[in-house]
Amino acid sequence: MTAGRAAGQRRFEDVREGEELPSVAYPLPVYRLVMAAGSNRDFNSIHHNTDYARATGAPEMYANTSLLLGMWERIVRDWIGPAGTIRGIRGFRMRAFNVVGDTTWVHARVVSVTTEDGPGTVDIEVRCENSAGVTVGPGTVRATLPLRADSAYGTD
Amino acid sequence: MNSAGENGDWQAAWKPVVDAVGRDFSDGTTVFGADPVERGAIRRFLEPLELDCALHTDPAVARAHGFADVTMPYTGLITWTIPPMWEPGQTLFDSAERDAQPVHSPINNQDMPLGPRTTGFFATGIEFDFLRPVVAGERVGRSGRRLVDCVPKETSVGRGAFLTWESDIVTEADGEVVARIRTSTYAYEPTPKGAVR
Repeated sequence: MTAGRAAGQRRFEDVREGEELPSVAYPLPVYRLVMAAGSNRDFNSIHHNTDYARATGAPEMYANTSLLLGMWERIVRDWIGPAGTIRGIRGFRMRAFNVVGDTTWVHARVVSVTTEDGPGTVDIEVRCENSAGVTVGPGTVRATLPLRADSAYGTD
Repeated sequence: MNSAGENGDWQAAWKPVVDAVGRDFSDGTTVFGADPVERGAIRRFLEPLELDCALHTDPAVARAHGFADVTMPYTGLITWTIPPMWEPGQTLFDSAERDAQPVHSPINNQDMPLGPRTTGFFATGIEFDFLRPVVAGERVGRSGRRLVDCVPKETSVGRGAFLTWESDIVTEADGEVVARIRTSTYAYEPTPKGAVR
């Protein structure tokens, strides 16, 4: 069970700027990369074939884009719960390969909260890191959270 | 045309692409994903992510949140807009070599009519605007393929260019725009092993 389910539905009023989301670790054995290719349909050999990846200049096979995007969605979804929504992703820039045999960590923190763009909008800075440093981002996931029934912001 | 020339004119080879920034390279048709969004495919998508949210697995929970069925993870838009790898009548593999590639793949950089032919290709960045979640039973596709940026650059893996494309994600049922996507890729010719530039 994820932190998101265990904690119950988070509300906008519970959130503070600077708040850290629980980090998520993704050990990357070949097995996970193959499962990801099969399920997200990115069969490019750079993501499951060491020789092929090295021939293209990469140090090893590495995680594909949809797997990495899904990591960002998971860390946010764990935190916003099922009543939250995701409105957009910015700055998802892949800076280094998330190679097999390493662990990719996903870290996130709240950078702003607002009710100007509709009630309960939260901008969350997200990044991936492995043993070499930042590999993806930092970028921003814009999400929404429901308001409490007695919210000073009104209800959604 | 070869992007890996030994002189400095490799960047000039990308000028037709740079000049085409702003052009829609689509033929006006929407390119749909191979299959509608399905509960089983969503479940398999979640597995390597260990993404545990009942919106994606429990129809009753999804309905309680206002959806007709389980929802596709937002970031599944790429997966569910990829055309099929194979269709009846086609040959997908014609070589038994260990690292042989399929005869064709929907994930490639070979359908760009301008600029150098490159053998290396990977995504470098993505941006999304999600207008609403997609639910099981819907089929989605990409409408439009507008080139919004092209920057030739030599990197540690080779010479090529960073390209950014923009598309709408639409439903098959009525063409409703459910998301917008900007995809950045690096198309390049790998630097030969031991080469010094």
